[in-house]
Amino acid sequence: MPVFQELIHDVQGQAINVCSMFLLLSSFAIVAQRSLASCVSLYAMQSFFLGFTAMVVANASGVHHLYFAAALNFLIKAWLIPRILHRAVDRLNVKREVEPLVNIPSSLLICGGLMILALYFSQPIKQIGPLLTNDSLALGLAIVFIGCFIMISRRKLVTQIVGFLTVENGLFLLATAITYGMPLIVELGVFFDILVAALIFGVLLHRIQDTVESARPAESRFEEVGEVAP
Amino acid sequence: MTILFLSILFSYLGGIFLPLCFPNREFIQNTMAHGLASVACLLGLVLGYEGLTDPEPWHIALSSNIPLLELSLRLDRLAAFFLVMISLVGLATSVYALGYVTEYYGKVSMGTLGSLYNGFLLSMTLVVLADNAFFFLILWELMSVTSYFLVVTEHEKNEVRYAGLFYLVMTHIGTAFIILTFLVLFQNAESFSFEAFRQSGHTVPERLGTVVFLAALIGFGTKAGIVPLHVWLPYAHPTAPSHVSALMSGVMVKTAIYGLIRVYFDFLDGEFPWWWGVVVLVVGTVSALLGVMYALMQHDLKKLLAYSSVENIGIILMGIGAGMIFSAYGFPELAALGIIAGLYHTLNHAVFKSLLFLGAGSLLYATHTRNMEEYGGLLKRMPWTGLFFLIGAVAISALPPTNGFVSEWLIFQNLFLAYQIPDILLDILLPIAAAMLALSGGLALACFAKAFGISFLALPRGSHAKHAQETPIPMRIGLGGLAVMCLVLGMGPIFVIPVLDQVSAEFVGVSVAERILTMDGWALTTANFASVSMPALAIMLLALSGVGLLFAHLLGGKLQSRSYKTWGCGLNVTSRMEYTATGFAQPIKRMFSTVYQPTIKLESEMLEESRYFAKRKHFDSYITPFFQQYLYEPVVNIFLRMSDRLRNMTVAHELNLYLGYVFAALLVVLLLVR
Repeated sequence: MPVFQELIHDVQGQAINVCSMFLLLSSFAIVAQRSLASCVSLYAMQSFFLGFTAMVVANASGVHHLYFAAALNFLIKAWLIPRILHRAVDRLNVKREVEPLVNIPSSLLICGGLMILALYFSQPIKQIGPLLTNDSLALGLAIVFIGCFIMISRRKLVTQIVGFLTVENGLFLLATAITYGMPLIVELGVFFDILVAALIFGVLLHRIQDTVESARPAESRFEEVGEVAP
Repeated sequence: MTILFLSILFSYLGGIFLPLCFPNREFIQNTMAHGLASVACLLGLVLGYEGLTDPEPWHIALSSNIPLLELSLRLDRLAAFFLVMISLVGLATSVYALGYVTEYYGKVSMGTLGSLYNGFLLSMTLVVLADNAFFFLILWELMSVTSYFLVVTEHEKNEVRYAGLFYLVMTHIGTAFIILTFLVLFQNAESFSFEAFRQSGHTVPERLGTVVFLAALIGFGTKAGIVPLHVWLPYAHPTAPSHVSALMSGVMVKTAIYGLIRVYFDFLDGEFPWWWGVVVLVVGTVSALLGVMYALMQHDLKKLLAYSSVENIGIILMGIGAGMIFSAYGFPELAALGIIAGLYHTLNHAVFKSLLFLGAGSLLYATHTRNMEEYGGLLKRMPWTGLFFLIGAVAISALPPTNGFVSEWLIFQNLFLAYQIPDILLDILLPIAAAMLALSGGLALACFAKAFGISFLALPRGSHAKHAQETPIPMRIGLGGLAVMCLVLGMGPIFVIPVLDQVSAEFVGVSVAERILTMDGWALTTANFASVSMPALAIMLLALSGVGLLFAHLLGGKLQSRSYKTWGCGLNVTSRMEYTATGFAQPIKRMFSTVYQPTIKLESEMLEESRYFAKRKHFDSYITPFFQQYLYEPVVNIFLRMSDRLRNMTVAHELNLYLGYVFAALLVVLLLVR
């Protein structure tokens, strides 16, 4: 039944696009959110959608190891890491992003601009060949950009960590969108890295919170070089 | 010849490595380093002689793994001439160094000093032989770096480190421009070998040719010390040990002259617009005048000599510039004459400048100071050094019968012959240059009358000068050899000019020796215009001085000797009554106050009880270092400000800013590759 096949294909593509859109929306929500705990929850939601996307892609492409990656995604990114971060946030004194470097409305505008840039960058790649998930390419890129922007524009370590994890999610989406996922062994490695990173963040947050609010490099690295008199 | 070359190479290599094998045996290290250097220089003289006489250039090439780099050497006449010059001066300084470096025993590692000295000589020798642009640049850098390390021999002193840094920066700016020169030539020739440059030189388009011309002038000019790129010379040359100063000032700056002649006449084939020659001539004239003017104001003998090098490089460039103008207007004979004059002065300056630097080293050895105000009365204590220094001073002041006179005379003749050029501007410009040369000659005479008179005559002004003793024999041999060379080159232009003629004929294509020399009377004639015979001149001078003495004896009555206090008036003669170096230079400082812009400060500190009685007076007088203050400092300040701002931008105090930079870079890259 070719018509039926085509219909399924279409539905799958639409499903992937919808999931990707949700991913992007949750990224915007992270940008707009001041409460640290909500940021972490939003990250969990984002990861959940990502896992769902991976499942749909696995179903559509028949690359079965993606099911495994999706499962890991649900387990680690949507449950374990948010749990660790929530615990860390609970111990913190300051639970809100008090003074972001860029205020929230401007941040949202800038992220909109980044989204347009991402669409612009992905144009030439789309022209190379039709991909099942070709719209998620631009979306993945946009999520990477937005994650970077969160890291740059926020002062609190927790939001910066969430930004970093968002970048990782964006990369995962990119990988599934373009190549139907990386080899399983690589993805396992990435998941493991992210988990370890989150653990370390949790411990560090605990330690840092008493002393400094944001990771500041030392005031000046270079000693003044004395000039030699003639 | 290959065997000869290899033995030179191995002598130098031995000089580099053997002294390092005997740590803490300073006598052995000294003897090995400078003995082997002397041997190598002797062999270099032989090789240079063969190169000058052989009809075909000697060539040797070794290919290497590095692309575009071929280790090739070529000994043509021009290279041989410079090889002879390097070896001649190197021989004298090496012999001199045998005695001189004993001063440094216990203070400086003799092994390092000796090995660097040999490395310096070797790199200079190879620079003039190199036949591949890449190889040339490597050797050029080697020469700069070894000389830098020699300059900072006494690196524990602050001013020495400053001088070394200054030198290093300037020489690298120069090298950058030399690289530019070679890259443009490479674009045209599509090979880095000098042979290819030579073949394709005349196909360089005029605009690129101008780039080559200017880049080479700036690049080599920095090493040579043309105004305004000369500022490093008075810092770096005096701070090096004296035998190295002699090599740097006498020989190393000449490798730049070699480079200029190589590029302009050999690669570009002597075909260039007339204004190139004018630029070189004007640069030479300005360097000559300003060099000697600043030299006059120095009371540090070695600094004075360094400024005088600027002057002499200017004179050499005047000869070459005149040659370039004549070449552009199609007078190959006159062009050849200009180049011969320039090369002759190059050789002469190498001889007398190293003689004077070694002389200054002897004074430093004997008195431990470079300040002329603390010398005085040294002629009685160091008669040999005094005599040799006097010969050098006479030669650099271009007085007959020494060598300086001959070359400057040739340059004068060449400039006067400008009336043959059908261009009214140049007909005026060249004689003006000649007038400026005359002025700088006069000032040079004053400068060296001061240098010799204040140092050697009258009474000692410092306790060191009072207890000075004659230097060890090797030092006197080195000085004496160079002094004899001054006289030989002065008396025998008839032997020197045919050799130089062969050198210039190689690229000008015309031999003019027959027309300059009249064989019978040992005389020089330029284009039936003027002639001079050096031996006759010498005899006349001797005779005239005899006549003068005779007249003085006859007319001046009997010489009576009375034992009486000179200018006594009830006081003993003390050194405080003497003419000082500052006093000597004062009238000239007044005359040229526009150039010097002198500042005089007199601060008096009065007694508290009465303002009519001074407790202390402080007098300060200095001249404005024009180029440093108005040319270099603004540029350096701009760079410092820029780098300050850049540092403030890069050394961010916030992690977020770093991340922002990374992100911005990512976006820019994506925009670019899209």
